[in-house]
Amino acid sequence: MLTHDALIRLCRARDRLRETDGRAPIAEIAREAGLSPYHFIRQFAAVFGATPHQYRIEARLEQAKRLLALGNHSVTDVCFEVGFESLGSFSDLFSRRVGVAPSMYRRRWQVPSRAGSLPRALIPGCLLLMCGEAALAPAIFKKH
Amino acid sequence: MRIKLNSIVVDNQDKALRFYTEVLGFVKSKEIPVGEFRWLTVVSPEGPADVELSLEPNANPAAKRYQEELFQQGIPLTAFEVDDIRAEYERLKKHGVVFTMEPTDTGQVTVAIFADTCGNLIQIYQHVK
Repeated sequence: MLTHDALIRLCRARDRLRETDGRAPIAEIAREAGLSPYHFIRQFAAVFGATPHQYRIEARLEQAKRLLALGNHSVTDVCFEVGFESLGSFSDLFSRRVGVAPSMYRRRWQVPSRAGSLPRALIPGCLLLMCGEAALAPAIFKKH
Repeated sequence: MRIKLNSIVVDNQDKALRFYTEVLGFVKSKEIPVGEFRWLTVVSPEGPADVELSLEPNANPAAKRYQEELFQQGIPLTAFEVDDIRAEYERLKKHGVVFTMEPTDTGQVTVAIFADTCGNLIQIYQHVK
């Protein structure tokens, strides 16, 4: 049984894993959550469906997708900005997970938008059963 | 007018499909590509056969905020009815599912709450006869 306090601590750990600047070691985040690294990894995975390490990588890739879509940053900038240390491993991982290389992803989403804001086409209209902007995404792909 | 569809937001549709079919025991109904995501629904083999649950990506910032706030407050996103809550509780625990509330009698229903590995708490309930 997970108490509410323990749940809150896991949520805080999840927030920490999303930080791109701190890059705190997993052991440190486990300590903050009041757990041994072993128990922290086990419990985090059971609750969130991914180990802390996997979760951090996923969060970085999501952040990378957002930055690439905005189009103001080079692939190299994005790679280091979200916390990867090697451009090669970032590109490989991104290509494998997302299905296209970062540079291709960046080009694909070059849609006009207000400076600094996410193109509306990138925000899926979920909660409206996906009949929102996401449904328009394939059309945008075709145009470019 | 009928209620035939319910939807929940999930942080990853692949992971959600695995959990909702392999662990909870639902069956995939629809899988239609929509841009980067999929229109993905499951149904319960225990019926009703035409009531679908949509597993929607939480990629919309509004959805993510909603999902995370509820989760942190310990509030389940939705609830599923079960015939034998103790048996389900034991079965799910064997699958490694983490509960935040063990089966608890609340009068009309007995309820339990677990984490669905996709960013949500889900309640199961059994009517007290």
